Amino acid sequence: MPDDKKTLMELYRKMVTVRQFETMAGEYFAAGKIPGFIHLSIGQEASSVGVCSCLQPDDYVITTHRGHGHMIAKGADLKRMTAELFGKQTGYCKGKGGSMHIADFSIGILGANGVVAAGLPIISGAGLSIKLRKTDQVAVCFFGDGGANRGPVHEAMNMASIWKLPIIFVVENNQWASTTPVSYSCSVKDLYRRAAGYNMPGQKVDGNDIMAVRKATTQAVARARAGEGPTFIENKTYRIKGHFEGDPQKYRTPEEVKKWQEQKDPIERFSRLLFKKKYLSRKLADQIQAEVAAELKAAVAFAQDSPLPEPEEALTDVYVES
Amino acid sequence: MSERILSSSAALAEALQEEMRRDETIFILGEDLVSHAGIFGQFKGIPEQFPERIIDTPISETCIAGCGVGAALTGMRPFVDFHFSDFITCGMDEICNQAAKVRYMSGGQVKLPLVVWCPDGGGLRAAAQHSQSLEAWFVHMPGLKVVMPSEPRDVKGLIKAAIRDDNPVMFFQHKKLFAKEGPVPEDDYIIALGQAAVKRQGSDVSLLCYGSGYYLCLEAVEVLKQKQIDAEVVDLRTLKPLDMDTVAASIRKTHRAVTVHEACVTGGFGAELAARIQDELFDELDAPVKRVGAKNVPIPFSPTLEDFVLPSVDDVVEAVRSVTYR
Amino acid sequence: MAQEIRIPKLGLTMTEATLVNWLVGAGQPVAREQIICVIETDKVSMEMPAPEAGVLCPIVEAGRRVEVGELIGYVAADQAEFETLRAQHAVVETQPAEAEAKPISEPERTPAAEKPRQRPPTPTPTPTQAKTPGDGQRIVASPAARKLGRELGIELKGIAGSGPDGRIVLADVQKAAQDGGQARVDAQYDFGLVAQENEMLSVAEEIPIRGIRKIIFKNMKLSISSQAQLTVHTEASAEAMRATRALFNARLQEGQPKVSYNAIIIKAVAHCLRAYPVLNAVVAGRHIRIWRQIHIGVAMDFGQGLIVPKVRNADTKSLPTISGELDDLAARGAKKKLLPDELQAGTFTVTNLGSWDIDEFTPICNFPESAILGVGRIVEKPWVRNGAVVAEPRVTLSLTFDHRVIDGALAAEFLKNLKDRLEDPRLML
Repeated sequence: MPDDKKTLMELYRKMVTVRQFETMAGEYFAAGKIPGFIHLSIGQEASSVGVCSCLQPDDYVITTHRGHGHMIAKGADLKRMTAELFGKQTGYCKGKGGSMHIADFSIGILGANGVVAAGLPIISGAGLSIKLRKTDQVAVCFFGDGGANRGPVHEAMNMASIWKLPIIFVVENNQWASTTPVSYSCSVKDLYRRAAGYNMPGQKVDGNDIMAVRKATTQAVARARAGEGPTFIENKTYRIKGHFEGDPQKYRTPEEVKKWQEQKDPIERFSRLLFKKKYLSRKLADQIQAEVAAELKAAVAFAQDSPLPEPEEALTDVYVES
Repeated sequence: MSERILSSSAALAEALQEEMRRDETIFILGEDLVSHAGIFGQFKGIPEQFPERIIDTPISETCIAGCGVGAALTGMRPFVDFHFSDFITCGMDEICNQAAKVRYMSGGQVKLPLVVWCPDGGGLRAAAQHSQSLEAWFVHMPGLKVVMPSEPRDVKGLIKAAIRDDNPVMFFQHKKLFAKEGPVPEDDYIIALGQAAVKRQGSDVSLLCYGSGYYLCLEAVEVLKQKQIDAEVVDLRTLKPLDMDTVAASIRKTHRAVTVHEACVTGGFGAELAARIQDELFDELDAPVKRVGAKNVPIPFSPTLEDFVLPSVDDVVEAVRSVTYR
Repeated sequence: MAQEIRIPKLGLTMTEATLVNWLVGAGQPVAREQIICVIETDKVSMEMPAPEAGVLCPIVEAGRRVEVGELIGYVAADQAEFETLRAQHAVVETQPAEAEAKPISEPERTPAAEKPRQRPPTPTPTPTQAKTPGDGQRIVASPAARKLGRELGIELKGIAGSGPDGRIVLADVQKAAQDGGQARVDAQYDFGLVAQENEMLSVAEEIPIRGIRKIIFKNMKLSISSQAQLTVHTEASAEAMRATRALFNARLQEGQPKVSYNAIIIKAVAHCLRAYPVLNAVVAGRHIRIWRQIHIGVAMDFGQGLIVPKVRNADTKSLPTISGELDDLAARGAKKKLLPDELQAGTFTVTNLGSWDIDEFTPICNFPESAILGVGRIVEKPWVRNGAVVAEPRVTLSLTFDHRVIDGALAAEFLKNLKDRLEDPRLML
């Protein structure tokens, strides 16, 4: 992936889009317009946008309950995403899935997932499928430090390794699994070291530095496409918002959050680089913010104007009718 | 169409070979498949003919099931061998939370052509973790289809239908029936999912059965004949979707029903049948619906214990006598 | 080679029948065409002839429901073949039906202290074992038994239940239906005791109640016991009917049937039923079911019991057509050649006793229909017309109806309309 101006500015715009989308979702959730519960990825934009920027449209991505960023980064439609959050008929899942089950198979998004680490066994199948079909696709599975402790991770990483499947396991270590800190729940401080047990490369990456994420991902993608097997990437990052919207967050201090926000915000860090390269000016930054805001406003209007599904819609799509 | 006598294993192997020749997206995944062509010989000939499409896995049931889901989502038609149906517990999230729901959760964006193939059942002195009949769990799960054939002929026709189906299908075959032989047509034929078969006409009672329960019923029929009781045998073959029309037609004729399966009675499929029959056919009933199944304990090891726990021909006969008032 | 005996399909809608009884015992010789058993559908009773001469080998016991095409027995070529068949099948040890008619002199034996498991293979529940629910007691009956009871209009109260704890099961209701409710009556009142032979009374002949007689028993009883019937009468001039009949019959082509009074009456009745559909109805459970079609039954008697063949869709047919159909039905009825389908699914009945010089009578509804028209003789009477006494042909019309379904005024209006049409057939144009 070239790091030319056009590419980097597109990444910047994507990161801003993710940030604004998550902010919008938080506001409409607080206002009672979005039912259920949602998990936001503010502060983790470098990981989602950085990884997906190295992928082709037909490459596969599976994500988690905290998956809006990965969707947007892979190219999902903002209108249909927003409509799904609002529970509308025009949403990606016709209102049947909601935030945790958005998928767009037409652009390789095999879905968010409500079960922690459930994506790993599925990505193994996608990887095996690529191998059997003999294409040069790759498959990426995002999961968290919480998911890293589940059993399926072991099975999936072992299987991917013995069969040299074209898979990239991306753990976004955002320090907190719901209320439990990684320091308590994980046997190692650095999760990437677990890769050694599966005889696959493990990389520790500053997950709030999009350039570092891109570098690691580019290598992993090249390895996968070359048939050399899977890679394990640990993006060290931080979850700025609570586990879910409305989380009282008694498990951490406001100072801890503030420190990450002020010192390591991925968008701020990336814009400093762009300023330095003179790709970005304050004025251009404001313009991009405004353009993205307009795009999101249109998405919200689309969602709000869309009809709720008819109750009987609930009875469709259970089976493929032959 | 001309027929030969084949075992259930051979019928399955033949069907799979025909399907794999027809559709190159079909592949088989599971533990210990290649060296013995399946632990019941059910994949005989496949390792030789399709060496790249029958894949031994590590002992990783979660990931085996997950692979089935992931491959089905990305253009393949996986046939996943679960070794013993008891181990399905290790793949429950992948089957029930993922396979069964992914089409629905995504608003119908995808189809999931997956067969989860499970040898099940007791009688082999294999004790509580290798002898269960768990089909009812999956009947309870929207999004799955559940098939449970008895005779070799049905195995071939139904596995083809299951493979060609665009939905996840749980396919259970009783371990003791693999060697059981019967006529199997040579042709490429399909038995549509959701079609029961009245395999013996009778006027006094409807025996609603599937899998190994079918053979219990056949034996019971002979005993009942001696008692001038004329039993009809309905082999359900597919539990979900259920062919309620055939069940209803039979009960309208006999006015009495006995459900027969090997799974334990409480919460078993017989309970669902009994509930639907009382709901939809209340006025046709001349007696309560009786359920025959295993006793409500884990399957024990020692032969005297296991034989006592599993349902017997006598159990079927006794249930029939109680509903025919004889 | 043994000949199979299977249940024939006796009409379009027939799917099953009851095997009423075997007239020849197992192992007994039969001649070709000899009547060997009686089967009964809802409408008719049929005697089945032997397909071949030989030895009878019945395999289905009497009293069972049998499907069309079902194998009920064999005629074996000889005794040896019979023995072979007996070894292969559960041969029913039938007794010739004559035994049925004989009064049972021995007291019935009760198999005492036998557990259900040890019962003989085909025990028949004996009345002494069965319980009859008394007044105020909840009736314990299977859903299927209740449904059949509703359909046949048989009250379960009083039926002896043969199931566990006296549960009334399907077989009990079927039996009660065959007995025409007699079992219930017998339980309350033993006619046998009242009507015993003594020095003043001796039996000349005992006619078994079976076949068509049994069906008449059942239907008459159901009609009078389950409906609220009353009859209204009126008298009509038959002048116009006579003229209409003469008009048609003067122009008869070769082979055309003569138009009869009955045809004119049927045509007029059908015409009126279109205007008063509630008279073309039955009571079905909690609903009054009005039929779309008008099928008029005509009561006929050829000395072998009442039969009521139907003129289908009479409202759509011309007088010559109806006349032709009546002639055909009567001709075949006299020879017992009517099919079961021709005797069922009527919606209204006409009965005419005029040829026996009956002026007026109160028919009872042909159950489950809700109304019936009785027609008396056409006779010349003095009648005052325009202030003068003239001789005029008159006929009495009697309409019996189920007052639950049809109100009195409505019935009267129907009859008035009918009278008007018969007196001036132009109203039917």
